[in-house]
Amino acid sequence: MSRNELTDGEAQSESESNGDSLITTDVATTGTRGHDGPERTVVETRDLDVYYGDERAIDGVSMEIPEHEVTALIGPSGCGKSTFLRCLNRMNDLIDVARIDGRVTLRGVDIYGEGVDPVALRRKVGMVFQKPNPFPKSIRENVAYGLEIQGYDGDVDARVEEALRAAALWDEVKDQLGESGLALSGGQQQRLCIARAIAPDPEIVLMDEPTSALDPVAASKIEDLIDELVEDYTVIIVTHNMQQAARISDQTAVFLTGGELVEFDDTNKIFENPDDDRVEDYITGKFG
Amino acid sequence: MARVEYQDELDDLRENVVAMGETVLDRYDAALTALETKNESLAEEVIEGDGQINDRYLDLESDCIDLFALQQPVASDLRFVASSFKIITDLERVGDLAVNLAEYTIAAERERYPEIDLIHIGTETGAMVAEAIEAYGAGDAEHASAVAARDDEVDDLCSAAGDAVVEDLIRTDYDDEAEDVMDDVSRLLLTVRDLERVGDHAVNICARTVYMIDSDAGLIY
Repeated sequence: MSRNELTDGEAQSESESNGDSLITTDVATTGTRGHDGPERTVVETRDLDVYYGDERAIDGVSMEIPEHEVTALIGPSGCGKSTFLRCLNRMNDLIDVARIDGRVTLRGVDIYGEGVDPVALRRKVGMVFQKPNPFPKSIRENVAYGLEIQGYDGDVDARVEEALRAAALWDEVKDQLGESGLALSGGQQQRLCIARAIAPDPEIVLMDEPTSALDPVAASKIEDLIDELVEDYTVIIVTHNMQQAARISDQTAVFLTGGELVEFDDTNKIFENPDDDRVEDYITGKFG
Repeated sequence: MARVEYQDELDDLRENVVAMGETVLDRYDAALTALETKNESLAEEVIEGDGQINDRYLDLESDCIDLFALQQPVASDLRFVASSFKIITDLERVGDLAVNLAEYTIAAERERYPEIDLIHIGTETGAMVAEAIEAYGAGDAEHASAVAARDDEVDDLCSAAGDAVVEDLIRTDYDDEAEDVMDDVSRLLLTVRDLERVGDHAVNICARTVYMIDSDAGLIY
């Protein structure tokens, strides 16, 4: 994957001025953030374009995503919302033909800047996928995996319990931590994956249709969990379920075909009185 | 156009609310005619017909609930269904007020204060309801706002009617027929109040219509 065209010097300079750890693998994993003070931007994109080969998947998207809130990304299939999500922790690096122009910053640090370690970035920006994908390891090992990779020197068992509690799974698995994560139900597996994502104490949790493979009861548990997670994390979720976006998000970004961000506003505004007629047509089902 | 069946249900709701409005207005006009002509049999028809309006109201309420539950409308569709849900309540209340007028017709035996033109007030408020429903059906926020603005004139007419009665009671000694006068005056003032309320329901319909179209809740509050 090609890097964007920002100068290395600029990225390095910003990283240093923020004292951020993205340029190293030494990511802080302790400490609980509160939700005090005014809303602050945690992630910002500026004129972000993403290409797969010659095809543009994201078209000049500029967004400021506030911390400790749930931001939903909605839009029809192929609109680029998952591509956008994957830009936020450089998952698109894994796609050879993908190329990025523009700028993505995490707390002011250009995440595509010189010296930024994608692995360290992904510990600050965790991700949960559509299908639960626990490792073929024990429940404990699944949650501890990221901690061990980063050489966490604290009490791993305590952190595993903390993450499982935060993922609303502890009470269900505390007596079977040595058993395979694959033995859990689909909904439990997804909460295990959430526990795995938050164990390294990221700032942001990206979720790509995290409930689409779950039954309504399991999905509702995940939704309740998301509501609790924003106390400590910023959640950015892609969903095809517009009612889910309406239920759980604080603001909603609507992408339409061609990777254009058409409207980004408070969720109640989007679902009660969107400004853009195309958004109105999409969310009321008249689109296409 | 996607969700064709859903769009059909929205269209049906709009048509059915307008149809309910027309039925309510027919009853209200009949009640006014009964009041004007002291036609007790016509008044009885209005009273007996109220059950039909109530049934229509409950059917439409159920339709709205089904749309909320099954189709989860959003944006302009949500405002439309939510507004319709409220408007049918106003229409049902206008039907109840028509029944009140019919009952006053049956109870009234004497004509007092002929200078108070109840029919004029009632015709004006009925016209407001008719135009409010028209604006709702056509999705015409400008028309709805204009109709709502006429309510002040109706309020002035009703207030003047009340003042005229009070002044007469102060000036005139009705010793021998005081009881009858008080019955008539009470009934008259209740009639004026009900006519004024019909205007208020027209304003409510207009307010919901403006919200439905422009997402402007200014007239509601």
